[in-house]
Amino acid sequence: MARFLLRRLLSALPTLLVIATLAFALLHLTPGGPFDSDRTLVAQIQRAIEARYHLDEPVWRQYLRYLNDLAHGDLGPSFTYRDTSVNQIIAQGLPIDLAIGGCAIGFALLVGGAIGLGAASRPGSLRDRLPMTLAMIGISVPSFVIAPLLILIFAMRLHWLPSGDWVGGSWRHLLLPSLALALPYTAFIARIVRASALDVMGNAHIRTARAKGLGDTAVLLRHALRPTLMPLVSYLGPALASVLTGSIVIEQVFGLPGVGRFFIGGALNRDYTLVMGLTLLYGALIIVGNFVVDLCYAWLDPRVRLNR
Amino acid sequence: MALALPALFAMFLSACELHNNGGSIASLRVGAQLAAQQELVRGVDAGAMRSLDPSISTDIPAERVLDDIFEGLTRLDQSGQPAPGLATHWETSSDGRTWTFHLREARWSNGEPIRAGDFVYAWRRTVDPHTASDYGQALSAVSNAIDVNEGRAAPDTLGIEAPDEHTVVVHLNAPTPYLLSLMSKAYTYPQYRPEIEAFGNRWTDPGHIVGNGAFLLREHVIGGRVTLTRNPQYWDAASVRLQKVTYLPLDRAVQTDRFFAGDLAFTDSFSAEQTAWLRSRLGSQVVSAPYLGNFVLGVNVLHPPFAGNRELRLALTMALDRETLVRYVRQGLYQPAWTPTPPLPGYRAPVPEWASLAQAQRLARARHHYQLAGYSAQHPLEVELYYPTDTDNRRTYEAVAAMWRSNLGALVHTFNEEFRVQVNERHLKKLPLFHYAWIGDYPDPYTFLQLFRTGFGYNDGGYSNPAYDRLLERADVESDAATRLALLAEAETLLNDDAACIPIYYYASRHLIKAYVKGWTSNIQDRNLSQYMYILEHQVR
Repeated sequence: MARFLLRRLLSALPTLLVIATLAFALLHLTPGGPFDSDRTLVAQIQRAIEARYHLDEPVWRQYLRYLNDLAHGDLGPSFTYRDTSVNQIIAQGLPIDLAIGGCAIGFALLVGGAIGLGAASRPGSLRDRLPMTLAMIGISVPSFVIAPLLILIFAMRLHWLPSGDWVGGSWRHLLLPSLALALPYTAFIARIVRASALDVMGNAHIRTARAKGLGDTAVLLRHALRPTLMPLVSYLGPALASVLTGSIVIEQVFGLPGVGRFFIGGALNRDYTLVMGLTLLYGALIIVGNFVVDLCYAWLDPRVRLNR
Repeated sequence: MALALPALFAMFLSACELHNNGGSIASLRVGAQLAAQQELVRGVDAGAMRSLDPSISTDIPAERVLDDIFEGLTRLDQSGQPAPGLATHWETSSDGRTWTFHLREARWSNGEPIRAGDFVYAWRRTVDPHTASDYGQALSAVSNAIDVNEGRAAPDTLGIEAPDEHTVVVHLNAPTPYLLSLMSKAYTYPQYRPEIEAFGNRWTDPGHIVGNGAFLLREHVIGGRVTLTRNPQYWDAASVRLQKVTYLPLDRAVQTDRFFAGDLAFTDSFSAEQTAWLRSRLGSQVVSAPYLGNFVLGVNVLHPPFAGNRELRLALTMALDRETLVRYVRQGLYQPAWTPTPPLPGYRAPVPEWASLAQAQRLARARHHYQLAGYSAQHPLEVELYYPTDTDNRRTYEAVAAMWRSNLGALVHTFNEEFRVQVNERHLKKLPLFHYAWIGDYPDPYTFLQLFRTGFGYNDGGYSNPAYDRLLERADVESDAATRLALLAEAETLLNDDAACIPIYYYASRHLIKAYVKGWTSNIQDRNLSQYMYILEHQVR
């Protein structure tokens, strides 16, 4: 197990290095610089700004400098938000995304899982057809439609919940964005769980269990649940990363200062350090997500050996 | 994706026929008494508040906050005019080149007295190239400012001095009639040196910043909410009624939603496409007024087809039906522009004579110029037009290209580019026809006319006319205000005769303001200080 952990950790480093290098190269290749604006700057100011952000150095040296800072855990100063560092932006935004993403994924797993299992227990019945139709709608309707609809109903019409903003993580402010973020994932999970459960229910070991005279619920929970979760776990790895780094749409609609929208703003503003920092964060989360998935596989399926 | 939001939302809202929300006129009852809770939530453009350092900040959302937490020698009054701020009065030397400001007794938010030297420190810091301020040249009227900013002189040679603790003396290169407006801009606000030297870049953090305005910075979430509370140390604190002001940076469509939900009382924008619908719902809570900015198609006069071809430039500018553009593309919010300078108090911008013709006559003239320029149906003009990606720009320029095609037969290909790409290519003078918009730094025609000076940094079309430059030089040193404006008007006439650019619209400010928010007046700079605002008693049914 320890060898497995160490190996995975070491193999993550080159991946992150490739991500950092690609992000660096792509950003520097994009036309337009971080300090281009309607107002052309006088040469002296341009030089002062370039010197401050080391943009006056050859690109290879900028690259080495960036890697060196990175090794020391410093993602550099933001070019757009001139009084702030990328570390500060992530430290401020990530907890918000983690809170909303955590609630969303929790909701999606519980509700989506229950719906999927319920549907699989009576395939073809109304208990299957109705939730699956709703799930199809849930997958098809994008969050930029769901989010304003939720605001319209719960904030503007019923006045039950605030229409956005983030006030120290109060649950009232957490509810609508989490729900809007969770709905498509809930639908997806419901469908995955249903398909997987139906597949598993046809297996020989389930037939054996039934032949021993076990009831439906006991078969489902004791024998079918663990294998059913396998495809779900594969899906959750990357999904976790994208939920936790914040949905740009949800952040915009609810006016949340998470990291997601800094990504787009950063790219448009050629904020090199900000975009590279967020890309690395995203990459690291995917790696962690996949790692957790592998651990889950081993727990769910005794045939998987981690130290192989 | 964000672009789809306003349209979708408009659809949902109208489909649901909202009547009982906090925004519609029918449901809001406003009394005459002050409300017990004096708290205001203002929406500002998302993603723009980049720095709260008065020497560095360039964006409008940050300007709103800085106007609340700092104050200069002058402060804007409720109608947006410069009025005594930290300076109680001032006098000018006979040649108009030396201004002496006398300061009142006032304190920084930490209780320290404000001294004349705090202005000297701040101005030097703004101009010092090491500060790397985008506004380093905005003080070019002050003597030595350009030399200091370009590294040829030390910051302490800048033309500002403090002979005693309550007197600021400013030395100018030339009489500068708009100086008082500059004195209420963030980059001229005084700055508290000990904090800046102690905390470097972090001095603007809520825990460190020392201000002198009507409000104190309490909270600043990067890219998110900014919370201010009343500053008891402010010299005019007795007349400030709001206890708390919150700024929320939000997308335009989201600002409108949050206004309807009752979370915002003052928005900074709304979608032009929704104007009629919003007016029907919100009545006089929809506020729009002329704004000090123009929306222009720049013409590159250095390269074909426009180099040396005045006839062609005239043909294109005359062939536009600006009234139609305003009515159908901008929903009547903007004003048609015939000349670069928008209407300003005290200045009559020279409108070309053809502007008053009927559209049919104008068109006949345009076709005549088009022929003189050497183009015809068999040999049409083919040219490329570049604009930064934006729905509003796209609608306008597609309409413009269609007008030129149907009115002249010209083939204009429109290309949208990312803002930074377009700006970069524009500065390199690579684009034949290009969109630009200019928001004036101060309410004076010079802020618009400088763009056409030979060799000026932002002269992206490469226009150069010695007669024009001479007129501006004469205006620079003219101490009589009326004569100076007449010289500027004469210069602007030259621009129009040469068709140096193709003005399209003058901007308008756009706000949604709850009926219970009082103490603001629409003004051409679109700056409303929170210190004048107050909340009336109100009830939402």
